[in-house]
Amino acid sequence: MSRRLLYVLMLSLLLPAFASCSKRASSPKADVVIWHWMTDRQASFEKLAAEYEKEKGVRVVFETYAPSEVYRDKIRAAASGKLLPEVYNPLGDKREMASFIKSGYIANITPEMEKGWAKAFYPKPLSQNTFDSSNEFGVAPGIYGVPIDVSAIEIYYNKDLFKQAGLDPEKPPQTWDEFLEAGKKLRSAGIQPFASGFGEGWLIGVFAASYEWNLLGKQGLIDTYKGKIPYTDERWVRVFKLFDEMKQSGLFVSGIATMVNKDAERIFATGKAAMALNGSWGVNVYYTMNPNLNYGIMLPPKLKEARYPMAIFGGEGSSFNFNPLSPNKEKAVEFFKWLTEKNQQIVLATETRNIPANRDAGADLPPILKTFAENINKTFDPLPVIEDWRVTNIKNLGLQAIIIGEKPSAQVAREVQAEKERQEKDKQK
Amino acid sequence: MTKLSRDKTINLLFILPALVLFLIFNFYPLLRTFQLSFHEWDGIALKMKFVGLAQYRHILTQNPAFWRAMGNATYVTVLALTVQNGLALLLALLVNREIRGDNIYRTIFFLPPVLSGIVVGLIWKWIYDGNYGILNYFLASCGWQSFANYSWLSEIKTSLTAVAIVHMWKGFGYGFIILLAGLQTIPRELYEAATVDGADAWQQFKHITVPSMIPVFTVVAILTILGTMQIFDLIYSMTRGGPAGHTDVPITRIYEYMANGEFGYSTAMAVIFGIVLLSVSVVQIEASRRLNNK
Amino acid sequence: MKTKIYLVNFITHFILVVVSLSCIFPVFWMISSSLKSQEEIFTKMTLLPAHPNWSNYILAWTRAEFGQYFLNSAIYTITGVFGIVFISSLAAYGFARLEVWGKRFLFYLLISTLLIPIPGVFVPLYLMLNKMGLLDTRLGLVLCYVSGNLAFGIFLLRSFFEELPKEIEEAALIDGASRFGIYWRIALPLARPALATLIIFNSLSIWNEFLLALVVLQDKTKMPIQRGLMVFQGTHITDYPMLMAGLTIATIPVIVIYLLMQKHIVKGIAAGALKG
Repeated sequence: MSRRLLYVLMLSLLLPAFASCSKRASSPKADVVIWHWMTDRQASFEKLAAEYEKEKGVRVVFETYAPSEVYRDKIRAAASGKLLPEVYNPLGDKREMASFIKSGYIANITPEMEKGWAKAFYPKPLSQNTFDSSNEFGVAPGIYGVPIDVSAIEIYYNKDLFKQAGLDPEKPPQTWDEFLEAGKKLRSAGIQPFASGFGEGWLIGVFAASYEWNLLGKQGLIDTYKGKIPYTDERWVRVFKLFDEMKQSGLFVSGIATMVNKDAERIFATGKAAMALNGSWGVNVYYTMNPNLNYGIMLPPKLKEARYPMAIFGGEGSSFNFNPLSPNKEKAVEFFKWLTEKNQQIVLATETRNIPANRDAGADLPPILKTFAENINKTFDPLPVIEDWRVTNIKNLGLQAIIIGEKPSAQVAREVQAEKERQEKDKQK
Repeated sequence: MTKLSRDKTINLLFILPALVLFLIFNFYPLLRTFQLSFHEWDGIALKMKFVGLAQYRHILTQNPAFWRAMGNATYVTVLALTVQNGLALLLALLVNREIRGDNIYRTIFFLPPVLSGIVVGLIWKWIYDGNYGILNYFLASCGWQSFANYSWLSEIKTSLTAVAIVHMWKGFGYGFIILLAGLQTIPRELYEAATVDGADAWQQFKHITVPSMIPVFTVVAILTILGTMQIFDLIYSMTRGGPAGHTDVPITRIYEYMANGEFGYSTAMAVIFGIVLLSVSVVQIEASRRLNNK
Repeated sequence: MKTKIYLVNFITHFILVVVSLSCIFPVFWMISSSLKSQEEIFTKMTLLPAHPNWSNYILAWTRAEFGQYFLNSAIYTITGVFGIVFISSLAAYGFARLEVWGKRFLFYLLISTLLIPIPGVFVPLYLMLNKMGLLDTRLGLVLCYVSGNLAFGIFLLRSFFEELPKEIEEAALIDGASRFGIYWRIALPLARPALATLIIFNSLSIWNEFLLALVVLQDKTKMPIQRGLMVFQGTHITDYPMLMAGLTIATIPVIVIYLLMQKHIVKGIAAGALKG
């Protein structure tokens, strides 16, 4: 056999081996490793970690993996290899969190919380990290994560554009009819009224949810998810029809059906739309895009016939969970107790323009953020059941179809109900 | 052992390194993933539930959205096979003639594939944008006012084709290079002899170029089909599968199920998808083989 | 007659120029955006920046710690491409010219990976790397890259090898050359356009690869350049000028490789070999 062949074979397999010879970077071993997805906060996090190390001698390292879809993949891979860091967040819904908990990847921190730590927070974000005794996921009741900030989704409106269209910038629409009227007035003034990232299904769901709570209330939603109220119920059809009414009044910005939120933010920041449905993080985003933007926020305008109060999406901003398999879990918890103290929260809030999770830190916020903070108690209560994701998906897609005028709301209602019945049947098998 | 069978064994050594790597890093994970398709698993739980063929049955009979996505991908693939590869072939033929500046053209045509998907998605989204888009600006200034605010990516009629155009724009560079390499291996003497014999350009193309290029055409066709059917990045960055699912493709569906904790189910979808692609490719390879041997 | 040639030439160049412009435009836009400020990108949709911020490039390089990532990407790309080219050309030659047990079956087996797109396959792959102790190692990542790209290489090269005229090889055989010698000295050089193609495509694919590197590597000092770009993508805000600057920096090496390689896709080499 030719020697050459042998050489070539060896070479092609050994080259990678040579490549792996490199001196290992000798950085001091970290006590607590935190994986997060918030690139814009890395600098603030590092500053606080350095402070903490000086005070307590514990070394905390923050590592960023962005964007969030990529972060999720990394978490899942690490979980299956049991290589999770001390602190992280699966960034999934309640069902996923339950799965992580049941597999032993997330620690139950109720004991630490009950020693007085829980009192510092707004109740909503904390309850979103909690599983109560009636939960359908089979998780032992308790608190499983700690929030470091809160957020909520409301409607931003451009005061200058409002004035231009003859609307009162200090009195945004309070009812649905006023909302539609405002839209028509803006249109006739040549201004596009309403933008949002409705290309992202969840955001349409968020807007619809406010009205679902408005018309059906908490129990109505629970009953629907349990299959006791069909989606063809007139209240649900009314919710769907709202989007049609928005379309007829010319409220929607061009291309809203495939718009991602980042683009909607840009459109609002550059004054090309008068209103935008967005979260409290928008304050920071708009500031970087256009610091001179003159805007206010308003709640989604309520329906005249609604029996329940208007509620908004939010409560939880960013939270973190702890890995029980790590030997440094106690140190990690201690660090977060420090991080959620009033002073550190104020630092984070001012540097990154987010609403702190610590109630005491809310007093010194700038006006817009303060309004958001005051509305935190209007966010949805956590529900003990969630709807099957396929049904929610069909609903969101149906709403998109209504927006582009492809289907009438009654048809969408029928399709969602059909999917729901299909899921119910599958579950029984 | 005869000399032939001894040769056959030694010759195996040529294939051995590839085979070993393949078995360890491709085949084994593939088998495990295949095994996964028979289970219900959310990607995290420590135990998986065996469900046999239930998920396959569901996909074949109760998941019309998946097959609609297949249809969408097929539409884009047909466009790619005809328009994209036609363009690539035309450009390869033109550049092959050693005209002035052919080096520059070769470099420029390869730029779209080199660009990251992020840049391509962003730029074309900007071009197509209903509010600020340069396309609408251009059309309006040419007198077609009705397109002033038309959102190409959000309207049912145009969204899929708009994305297809971007895909073809980004992809023709690959076909161009392979076809050019193929054209360059045809010995010049054949053309010179044909010219002496009085054949014109079209006849030379028909009788020299095409027959020599059949294997290359097959390679390009198969790669186009495989690459286009698996389209994902562009769809995700431009339309997220919208509006209302009109630009959904199999991979976006698979990712969606995975993100919602249906690992086993999404793997079954991937396996079915793979079988479809495999069958198409095998047919093509065999057909090309037969055509070549004639 | 002359006008006909003129016309053909004109149309040829016209088509080429139009297509070229459409190809250049995005690169131009990318560079132009990288020189703007964040505000400018959102508020003014102009073609050229008002005041070019060349410092964006320096900022991007330091903030993303590009030096290290650049070196890593280079290592992975060079070793990966070498591995792919050698191993796949060996196998492709075997499939094209040699008698082997179960040739057809093995061929389809090897290219089956091209045909089955399993996005989720990286989870079992990850678990296996972990078991083999190859997680967070350069070797592990490169082996994944090589094995992942073999199918394409074998597929492409087999077609090219099959098209090579058999006479030269048969002549060499009669002269007593070994199979490997023919592969090394005759087939490979003749397939230079195909090899160059392979080098270009694989360099591009490995250089731009992101997900596997991110998941397999934990140590920051081993991460490739695409990881560096993550720094500019925040949860809600993307630093577009920096991102564009970073992308431009990241795109240059591939273009350089392409320029070097595409010289080999040039007429005359094949013809020359025949004459000789």
